[in-house]
Parts: sequence; structure tokens; C-alpha cells
Amino acid sequence: MLCELITNNTHNNNVALYKCYNANKVFYRKAAFSHWGNKVIENEKKGYDWFYKDSEFLIDVKFRKRYFYELDIPEFKGRKFPSESVISGNEESIEKIIAFYKDRWSTNDIFAIHGDLALWNIIIDRNNIKIVDWEHFHYSGKEFFGYDIINMLFVLIYNESKRTFSLNKRNRDFLKKCYIQLIEGAGNSNKILEKPFRNAKDYLLKYKDRFLISTNIYKKFVLSVSPLSVLEHFDSIVTR
Amino acid sequence: MLAPQNSYTNLSSAVGLGLIGFNGKDIAVDYGCMCSDSFVYASRLCKRIVGINTSYERLKTLQKRLVEEDVKNYGLVNANYNEQHFNEAFDYVIINSFLEQLLIEIKHNKSIFLESMIRSKKKNNSPGEIRIGFLQRVCNGLRPGGTLYLSYANKLRIRTLLLFIKLAIESSFTAISLKKAPSFTSLLNAIYLFPYYLLSQRGLEKLLKSNGFVDIEKYAVFPDHKCPLKIIPLRKLYECSYEPVQHLYGEGSLKRISAGVKRRVDRLIFKNFKLFDLSPSFIITARKSS
Repeated sequence: MLCELITNNTHNNNVALYKCYNANKVFYRKAAFSHWGNKVIENEKKGYDWFYKDSEFLIDVKFRKRYFYELDIPEFKGRKFPSESVISGNEESIEKIIAFYKDRWSTNDIFAIHGDLALWNIIIDRNNIKIVDWEHFHYSGKEFFGYDIINMLFVLIYNESKRTFSLNKRNRDFLKKCYIQLIEGAGNSNKILEKPFRNAKDYLLKYKDRFLISTNIYKKFVLSVSPLSVLEHFDSIVTR
Repeated sequence: MLAPQNSYTNLSSAVGLGLIGFNGKDIAVDYGCMCSDSFVYASRLCKRIVGINTSYERLKTLQKRLVEEDVKNYGLVNANYNEQHFNEAFDYVIINSFLEQLLIEIKHNKSIFLESMIRSKKKNNSPGEIRIGFLQRVCNGLRPGGTLYLSYANKLRIRTLLLFIKLAIESSFTAISLKKAPSFTSLLNAIYLFPYYLLSQRGLEKLLKSNGFVDIEKYAVFPDHKCPLKIIPLRKLYECSYEPVQHLYGEGSLKRISAGVKRRVDRLIFKNFKLFDLSPSFIITARKSS
């Protein structure tokens, strides 16, 4: 078996990601290099179990519990997105993802948060959507419905506006459309969607321990570094 | 083997060893013990590991670390690499910074060097007679089917080239002074060692084959083999993606600018032109024929 090292110790997670080529099969392997890394991998396994337990497709995630844990994840076929993805050109996919989120997250008995949902962690194969990288997975209350989508939208805004946080009218209208689509699935007690971006940041900072991060949270999530004035600006755009 | 729950050492620098799959029954040997993280990592996943080094001080430092980490399944041997005669004792051989050892041997044994030169001119690819004592010892120590893991820095790097250019420019404009003598001495030494280096680098695969190894895989390693962030198997070059990676130490505008320049140069060299011979480091894995 031949392996390629894709990343190592990203954001100090003590985990390496390999792409493995075994005869005609390709899969990804996450391997821990400390006990912290073991926790991260164990958590990721929980995420996959939660997400795929009611899934129509069987996925073959192999978990090996040795001194250092390992997780083998199959390579999913479909459209993948680069890390610098923006809103423009991806509107159709974003709407598909929101529809999928509403369906999957609101019907699942136990509510959970992916924690790092962004286009690069999503693979779309026709109408099937697969989500990877569950390192920051955690269980949470249903009142936080929408957190993951708001985080994904903010990453897109961040990339789209090249850190200046100014969007054109087309993108602003699209954001509003996404918000309306999302709010249809939220309950009355929702604690995110009244002021989505601001509340998402509050959730992230208040419950940062749930995200299992061993580095400074401000280095990992763009939502956490963005000033409140910017978040409130985008809140006003989508809720108006 | 149960993990002590208070041990949180991050052994991410041993990520190269993830390319070879250890299992709990394996016995490994580390020639040189150059990277203590790798030694600790292997000790966690193998049944037993032996470290061999010529320096007593180096072994003492390593032992201190092993005590701190509560590693117990190890043995340390203070001896010359070529003095050890293990016979099919190991499932894995780990050698970090290997090429230096090979270079010393080739440099001291002119017949190997000359013979290899003649062979390469004749374009004779048949392996068989280039016997390197060190490699033979390594091969003898491995069980049939056992795995060899080598990592080493690529000395044919742009930085070396820049040093050559810098010294050449300096010598044209200024008189040779005593202050610059050490630089010139190291430059001369580098020039002297260069053919040996090229021989061992280019002929490494041949040398390994002629010393009993098969299934040889070579990997390009970035930004260095001491703490890799990206490892690309050269056999899968066109299926792998390359994006520049580097360790960022400290902050400051000058460091940011130089990191940006390096990123652009790396992207050009490795992503656009695929010149992986210029990679900063390499890892080689090979198997002893059964």
C-alpha cells in the first residue's frame, strides 16, 4: 500500500491525514500522534456514526484502537470544492446543502453540530450529499439549529469579499434567500437565527470546549475573529 | 499496550513512519536514533525497539527522554553501525539521515566509488556487485519480508546553489580574508563531497537492490524530513496534489515576505514543473526479499 501525506498536525490537532492507494482502492486514513489526537479521532468516528446511521448508503469507516488510533474513511465520489470557494458560481450547490441540512438535522432524534461545516468538507454526487471531517463534532440542543449553515455561509462571505466584508447586491440577495430557506426548518425556541452571525459567534465562543480544539480558537475559525460590527452588518442584510 | 493517560506528547514529527504499518508484534531497530520522536512513536506501536548509536552522549539524551515518556520496551546499543551482526532479528529498520553514513563509506572506499562510476558509464543496470557494508548489515539484520525506512535531506538544494553563487560573487569583489576562510573551507569540502553525494543519491535504488532489497518506494518530503507536512510518493506523482507547505517560526513582515517568495518559488518548481528531484528531503521504503 502506498500513502501520500496530505496534512500533518493542522491547527495542532496531533493528527495526520494520509491518502492511501491500495491496489485499485483509494481511501483516506487519519492517524493520531498523541493522546489528544486519539480524542480527536474518536470524536470524528462519533460524527461519522451520527451522520451515517440513518443514511441510505452504507459507508465503510474503519476505526482501529491501538496505542494511537486510526480511522480509515473511503474516498467519496462526486463534486468537491476547494478551500477558497466563494458564493458566486456555487449558488445551486449551497441551496442543495441547505435543503439537505434542513431535512437531515431536523429529523434526527439527537441534535448535533458538525463544527466546521464549509464547502470543502462537503461532497455532492448528484442528489447525494456526503460530509467529511467530523473532528469538531458534538451533541448540542436543537435550539442551535442552523449554526453549521451560518458558519458555512460566513466562510463563503469571507472568501467572496477577500476579507473586506463587502458584497455585491446579487450575493446579498442570495444570502437573504438562504436565510429564508433555513429559517423554515427552525423551531420557535431557536437561539441562532434571530441574529444568525452574531449568535453563531457567541455559540462558538461560549461552547469552545465542545469543539475539541487544542489551538487558539481565533486561529481556526474566521467567525471567531470577525468583529461584532461586521457580523451585525450581515445580520441586518439577511434578516431585513 | 495501554497508554498512560497523563502522557500528551505530540509525536507528529514521526509522521513519516505512518507510511509503514507497524503492528504490536514487530521488533524494530533505529540506526542512529537521530529523531527521538520517531523512536518513541515506534516504541509505542512495536513490541520492542533497539537503538544503535556511536555516541554515548546521544544515547544518554535519548534514554532521558524515554524515561520521561515511560517507555520500557527498548534497548540501546553504543557501537559502530558496522560492528553489529544481528541476524534476521528485526521486522523494521529505521534510519534517519541515512545518506551521510553511506557517503562516509563510499568516500572511504574508493573501489566502490570507482566501480560505480564505471558501471554508470557503461549503463549497466544489472545489480549485484556494488556491496556496501552498512547496507549489507542492515539487510542481514532484517527478517525476510522486513521493511527498511530511510529518510534523508536532499543536499542538492537551491540554498546550496545560492551559497555557491554568494561566495563566488564575494570572492570576485573582495580579497580573501581569514574571516572568510571557514566558508571557503566548507565550500571546498562540499565540492569534494559532491560527486560522492551524487553517486549515492542517483544510485541509491541500485545500491539497495544490489544489497538485497525489493519493492523500493521513494517519497518527496516537504518542508523537511525532521517534521514533514507533506509527503508525495514519486510513483503517484501525477495523482497527488502539491501545495507549498512550510513551518512558520515567529512573525514579522520580513519573515512573511520571504515565506511568500518561497511559496511562489516552490509552487513553480514542484507544482508547475514537477521537479521533485529538488525536494528538500526524501524518504525511501524497501522490503527485504523473502
